[in-house]
Amino acid sequence: MKETLEKIRLQTLEGLKNAEDEAAIDLINATVFGRNGSLTEILKGMSKLRKDERAELGQAANAVKKELEKLLNERRAEIVAKMQELRFEQEAIDVTEPGKISMPEGHLHPMTQTYRDIRDALVGMGFTTYEGPEVEYDDYNFTKLNLPLDHPARDMQDTFYVNDRVVLRTHTSPLEARALLNLKPPFRLIMPGRVFRVDEVDASHSPVFMQMEGFVVDRNITLADLKGTLQTFIHAVFGEDVKMRFRPSYFPFTEPSAEVDVSCTLCGGKGCRLCKGTGWLEILGSGVTNPHELENCGLDPKEWNAFAFGLGVDRIASLKYGITDIRLEYENDARFLKQF
Amino acid sequence: MKLPLKWLKEYVDFNVTLDEFVELMMWRGFEIAEITDEMPGISNVVVGRIEKIEQHPNAEKLKVCSVNIGKGDNLCLITGAPNVFEGALVPVALDGATLTGGIVIHPTVMRGVESCGMLCSGEELGITDADYPGASVYGILILQGEHPLGQPIQEAVGLNDVVFDIELTPNRADCISIIGMCREAAAALGQKFKEPVIKQVLGEGDARDYATVQVLDGELCPRYIGRVVKDIRIAPSPAWMQKKLRSVGMRPINNIVDITNYVMIEYGQPMHAFDFACITDGHIIVRRGKEDEIVKTLDGKARKVSPNVLLIADPARGVGIAGVMGGENSEITENTKTVFFESAVFKGSNIRHTTRELHHVTDAAARYIKGVEPVNTKLAIDRAIELVAELDAGTIVGGNIDVCAADLTERVINVDWNHVNRILNTEISPEDMVKMLDTINIGAVVDGKNLVVTIPHYRVDIESSIESDWDIAEEIARVYGYYNIEPTMMTGDTFRGRLSPETRHEDEIKDMCVSMGCYEMYNYNFTGPAALSALGITEDDEKYLAVKLMNPFGEDQSLMRTTLMAGMLNSVALNCNRKTGHGRFFEVGNVHIDNNDDLPEERKILGIIFTGADESFFTLKGVIEYLLRKLGIGERAEFLPGGSGFFQPGQKAVIKVDGQVIGEMGTVHPDTRKAFGVPQAAYAAELSMKKLFELRENGKTYKAIPKYPTVPRDIAVVVDEKMTSAQVAKVIKDAPVKVLLENVELFDVYRGTGIPEGKKSMAYSYTVRAEDRTLTDEDITEAMNTIIRVLKEKLDADLRA
Repeated sequence: MKETLEKIRLQTLEGLKNAEDEAAIDLINATVFGRNGSLTEILKGMSKLRKDERAELGQAANAVKKELEKLLNERRAEIVAKMQELRFEQEAIDVTEPGKISMPEGHLHPMTQTYRDIRDALVGMGFTTYEGPEVEYDDYNFTKLNLPLDHPARDMQDTFYVNDRVVLRTHTSPLEARALLNLKPPFRLIMPGRVFRVDEVDASHSPVFMQMEGFVVDRNITLADLKGTLQTFIHAVFGEDVKMRFRPSYFPFTEPSAEVDVSCTLCGGKGCRLCKGTGWLEILGSGVTNPHELENCGLDPKEWNAFAFGLGVDRIASLKYGITDIRLEYENDARFLKQF
Repeated sequence: MKLPLKWLKEYVDFNVTLDEFVELMMWRGFEIAEITDEMPGISNVVVGRIEKIEQHPNAEKLKVCSVNIGKGDNLCLITGAPNVFEGALVPVALDGATLTGGIVIHPTVMRGVESCGMLCSGEELGITDADYPGASVYGILILQGEHPLGQPIQEAVGLNDVVFDIELTPNRADCISIIGMCREAAAALGQKFKEPVIKQVLGEGDARDYATVQVLDGELCPRYIGRVVKDIRIAPSPAWMQKKLRSVGMRPINNIVDITNYVMIEYGQPMHAFDFACITDGHIIVRRGKEDEIVKTLDGKARKVSPNVLLIADPARGVGIAGVMGGENSEITENTKTVFFESAVFKGSNIRHTTRELHHVTDAAARYIKGVEPVNTKLAIDRAIELVAELDAGTIVGGNIDVCAADLTERVINVDWNHVNRILNTEISPEDMVKMLDTINIGAVVDGKNLVVTIPHYRVDIESSIESDWDIAEEIARVYGYYNIEPTMMTGDTFRGRLSPETRHEDEIKDMCVSMGCYEMYNYNFTGPAALSALGITEDDEKYLAVKLMNPFGEDQSLMRTTLMAGMLNSVALNCNRKTGHGRFFEVGNVHIDNNDDLPEERKILGIIFTGADESFFTLKGVIEYLLRKLGIGERAEFLPGGSGFFQPGQKAVIKVDGQVIGEMGTVHPDTRKAFGVPQAAYAAELSMKKLFELRENGKTYKAIPKYPTVPRDIAVVVDEKMTSAQVAKVIKDAPVKVLLENVELFDVYRGTGIPEGKKSMAYSYTVRAEDRTLTDEDITEAMNTIIRVLKEKLDADLRA
């Protein structure tokens, strides 16, 4: 009996050693531990033995069973791991191949992205968007803004006329008149939109471009508030390191007026081709709203005051992205658009 | 405005660098756009004396010159010019010198002898006889007189000035003059402006015995001053005057004409000189033109005028167009004996009209348009007469003829100095304000709460109106320094910043298009009749009602677009032709429909266009359905056959939500896309941003997730070929089943084997469920049978075998 036990043990060990796959393990499992398995038979035969023999042999048989079970499980795990490894090897892929996409990525126009950057900076400062028509009354585009007929400053802006009373707006400022006439002050507005000037197309001019105007009407607005607002705004759009220059200028709808430069975004102010060696880039016009404009739009300039600033979104986009030819922005070449 | 530095120095002590000057002027609101040298591009060229000339050993035509430039050894320079001689002072371009046209000089070996620089001609220095006598001679420029050796050539020929090109803002008409500009420059430099004193030349006799002036329209001509000079001695003006005129870009003509131009440059007042012998009866009449009257101007052109145009006339004819140009019939010639000088104020707005009517703007007219004022008018004519005396150009006749309707009294305004501080957020005392204003020649005294300000006659930009406080605030700020204004944050009400709902809507739509692989386009708003016709837009279409521009660039840009199609097709054609490899684009832009109201109807449109091998009507439709679903209106949308002429018949659809048209889509008509140069099939849509905004679902409410299982089923029916998917789907959706029927979707259309000719099989999937229980097989079968029944009843559809 003892010999038989040892034989089973050795046979099983040999079998496990030679087993190549899970099926072989299953087979061993059945031949040894199955209902009619060799070890099962021995255990079943125990009852026929004498009591003393039974105790001794029983102990031995159980020890063998335990050992073989453990080894079988270990071998099984080993084989499973090995098979999986083999499968993984077969299933290995070239991870450097390109991924599959169901949809090519789209792109917002750089002008839209720039506009949103600028706009969002102002929303953070309490401004709200306000829009109006591109085809506009001459009265709103000029006269109400202190630019009566034959004002020499009208020549600053070459105008497309629809008829003698209707123009393509030359700036977003007619929205100031519309806001003053239609909204109840105080308010802070962002007024974006396309504007039109009789300008032949070249690398830096376009007859159609996008402007954005900020307009604040309140009771105690000062030139210093304008400067502070612009400084915060410029840092939000161009970064904290950018320097601002706030210098005198002239616009018919503001008094005092100021032109605003930022330190060159390309050279940082040392002087380069972009800033024509000056270290500064002109980016916006601004000023305290002319009292005539407030009066023309039914507000008492003794009670209310206002400031406004306007900038060309195309120009800011050009500066921000280093676009050297404004024509690219209206050509819609996919190789241009996909860069943004 | 050109301001030569030497001219500036006559009025101001200039003690800063050029860069500092640019900065100082900038802080006063005067931008110096450019500083040009009188000899642009010339550097490192000095005066040298030819000590010795020898024949070149290897070249017959070359001479080897030994030239002394005042330091070091004599230079060896080779020239082929015939006009050099020993002892001549000549321009020597040294090693590294630059000449006209960007030429850089380096030592070169010529036939075995090294020339260590170059002797220069006038042409190589970019100058002619007009700049320096002898500069146009063929050969080396021989300098006249004595010059220190080694002196820069610019100094030797007297062309060492720099000229500032100053960009003026339109309010400062007074600064389109040397005097005005120098006055501002003096203030910027913190120096005293050396006010010129004009010597009054009394002359002999009385001009009024020679000439009479009658102004018939005092509004258009508020002041007209005339002076007479006899025994005219026409001659070239002196070198100093010619040089100054040239330095600001004017061509010298003769002493009399040059005086008028010089005074205009110096004082900003346009002037004119008439040959007095040509003025009939010596009688000047300032009057409006007659209908179809012809005046032949100095440039030889016969110009037809109208009553809108102001003329200078004599009793017989027009002798000049006021403020624009003199007449040919009274031009100064070599034979002119007596001159009538005119210095006048003409109304700017009228001159502006005249230049538009005649399509001609002159320097004088531009000044009138910007504003000329009557006190300066008198100064200018006095200065002209002073110059006549100085140049000895004629004998001055005494007395002014002065017809003046203008108010010459000094303008005095009251300014609330506290208000000035409030505008600027400063705390400047009124006494300091007075001092600041004094530096820019504005007189002021403190009177309690007010400053009593006397406006200089030339500051026509400062108003006596509600604007006065702001005008003076601006002047104070310029002197105080904008850089000294401390930035502050706005106080007062707090504001909740936000995007308007329409702006958010637009952002969302754009982002959705981007997420569907579209690139955003920006196209111009202009279009033309040819583009409309290529789009098949005819008179009965509202897209034909385009807003027309009065002054377009050309026919093809003469209209405002009524559809985004033309721009989108042009851009797609460009991308196809350049093979950029992308075919999905969108644009959000306005179109305008001229509906005979004051302003046209403006519509914001979302345009989408697809092209490329993988695209079809249905890829585009899929994207539109995606958009509509994201907006919460997918379920309510219908696509009905039909649409504009630029789509191919049978492949176009009008899109409706709740019965309202929100847009259209389709395959672009082959004729249309060919007209725009699109070589392959394209699919496009236009949707109303406003309709989408109005109809979209706003504010969502949570609906409970179904508790009981949903059962999916398919059904395929054979229907007539003419039947649309929408019709079949509607019948299924409306079937009177007892359970909840949802998600009815077409998933297959089949024609061919097993399906009769003229029929097609349409396969739909749908789901059924109940709110309160799990469906039984009977429920499911009942629903299916009901659907089959109504399809048969309403559409004569048979279940596919």
